[in-house]
Order: sequence, then C-alpha cells, then structure tokens
Amino acid sequence: MAELDDIIHQPLRLKIMAALNALPATAGLEFSRLKKLTGATDGNLGAHIETLAKAGYVSVEKAFVGKKPQTTVTATAAGRGAFARHVATLQEIIAGKQG
Amino acid sequence: MIDSRQASAALADIDDIVQRVKQSQLYELASLAAVWWGVLVFAANLVTWLWPIYAVYAWVAVDVLGVGGLIALRVFDPKSHPFGAGVGIRLFLIFALFFAFGYLVTNVVGHFGPRQLGTFWPIYFMLFYTLAGLWFGYAFVAIGLGITALTLFGFFYIGEAFPLWMAFVNGGGLILGGLWMRRI
Repeated sequence: MAELDDIIHQPLRLKIMAALNALPATAGLEFSRLKKLTGATDGNLGAHIETLAKAGYVSVEKAFVGKKPQTTVTATAAGRGAFARHVATLQEIIAGKQG
Repeated sequence: MIDSRQASAALADIDDIVQRVKQSQLYELASLAAVWWGVLVFAANLVTWLWPIYAVYAWVAVDVLGVGGLIALRVFDPKSHPFGAGVGIRLFLIFALFFAFGYLVTNVVGHFGPRQLGTFWPIYFMLFYTLAGLWFGYAFVAIGLGITALTLFGFFYIGEAFPLWMAFVNGGGLILGGLWMRRI
C-alpha cells in the first residue's frame, strides 16, 4: 500500500512541487515567481526549498543577472517521481482504497 | 494518514497552483509579444506622423517583424511555453487569416483612408486580445478594451496629430500592458 510522502505532504512544499512539476522537465522557476505563486514569505519559502533540496527533490541554482542575484529552483527526476507517487496516493485515498 | 476530504483539498490545491503556473507562463509569453509589437507599432506610427509618404513601408515592416518575432519566440525558446509545438504553425495561420480578413475589409469591401486604417487595425487587433482574455485572463481584456477606447477617442476627437496619439496609445499601451502582465 502506497504511503504519503512526508516531505511533500506539508502544504507549502506540496505547492512548490506542484508548481515545478507543471513545467517542462528542465525548466525551473525563479524564487520571486515561486514566492508570488505560492503566496509564501521569503524566509518560509527558502526554508521549505532547502528541505526539498536536502531530500533531492529540487535543485537550486544561484546566478547573477546583471548585479542582481537570481535563484532558480527546478524539480529533479527524483522529485517528479515522488510527486507523481504522492498524487497517486491522494487519488487512492479519495477512491477509498486507503485512509 | 489523512481522510478523503483532506486528500481532495490537497488535490484542489495542486490544481489551483498548476492553473496559476500556466497563466503565469502565458502572461510571460504574452508580455514579450506585447512589448515587441508595442515598440514596432510606436515606431511605425511615428513614421506615419513624421513622414506619411513612407507609412506603407513602415506598416509592412511592422507586420513582417511582428509575426516573425512571435515565430522566433516559438523557435528559439519552445520548451518554456505552456502549449505544444503545433502552436507555431497555428500561430502563423491565425495571423494569415487575420491579415487576409483585414485586407478584405479595408481594401476590397471598403476603401479606407489613412485615418480609418489607423483606427481599424488597432481595434481589430484588440478585439482578438479582448476575446482571448475571456479564456486566458483579465489582463488581456483590460488591455484590449483600454486601447480600443482610447483609439476610438482619438479617431473622433484628435485631429492632425492622430498618428502621434496612436503611437502613444497603441504602441505605448502595448508596452505598458506587456510590462504590467509581467508583474501580475
């Protein structure tokens, strides 16, 4: 029986993974855009991205565009797989196979 | 373990964020297109105002560069777009039909003068913008209706300086609208 992924299940991390998973495989989102999409604060978003990065679910790339630092977050293959399994588990729960 | 109500709420959150990502990508792409067309339209209206004899060349250049720019956006950065690869061809066909119908109305069915042409093409273009907005987001509707209203105001109330008015209303409006879309 499939288990919910504890790392992804947290509401903000679920939103982050859903947003990144909606993009093509190699595309990422800038930190500022992710912040706008999720409605999170800088500190909160940063902390949850770090948790996802430690789990290997996202990669974080920092670069300078002109003089401005730009952080881009991209879902890894492992992250996409974990997210797909998490969604499948949620659907199973709704279908009454679990919970 | 969570119950089915909580699972449904989680899936609804996912759907909501996916829709927002898609709209955000669409606005980003539309923003680039609007700014590109805005710069071209601004320049062509200035040419029309300053050197009316060259206006026809300026507008042909705008159409070629405008459509070419949109296709280049598809060709050079297709992976970041929210729609499939077939959109490039469809985009080209949409513009071909758009210009064919516009030409039919302005040169065959009717014989529009410079002022009528300068009014018809922007409001015709903005009609599609507004209609697209009914599916893709309110920003398109706001930009479409705003530019249409100001264009009609210019048609009825602005005299000789109409092309200059249109440079700022149509060109400037598209540039500002495009930049606004990036911030939504």
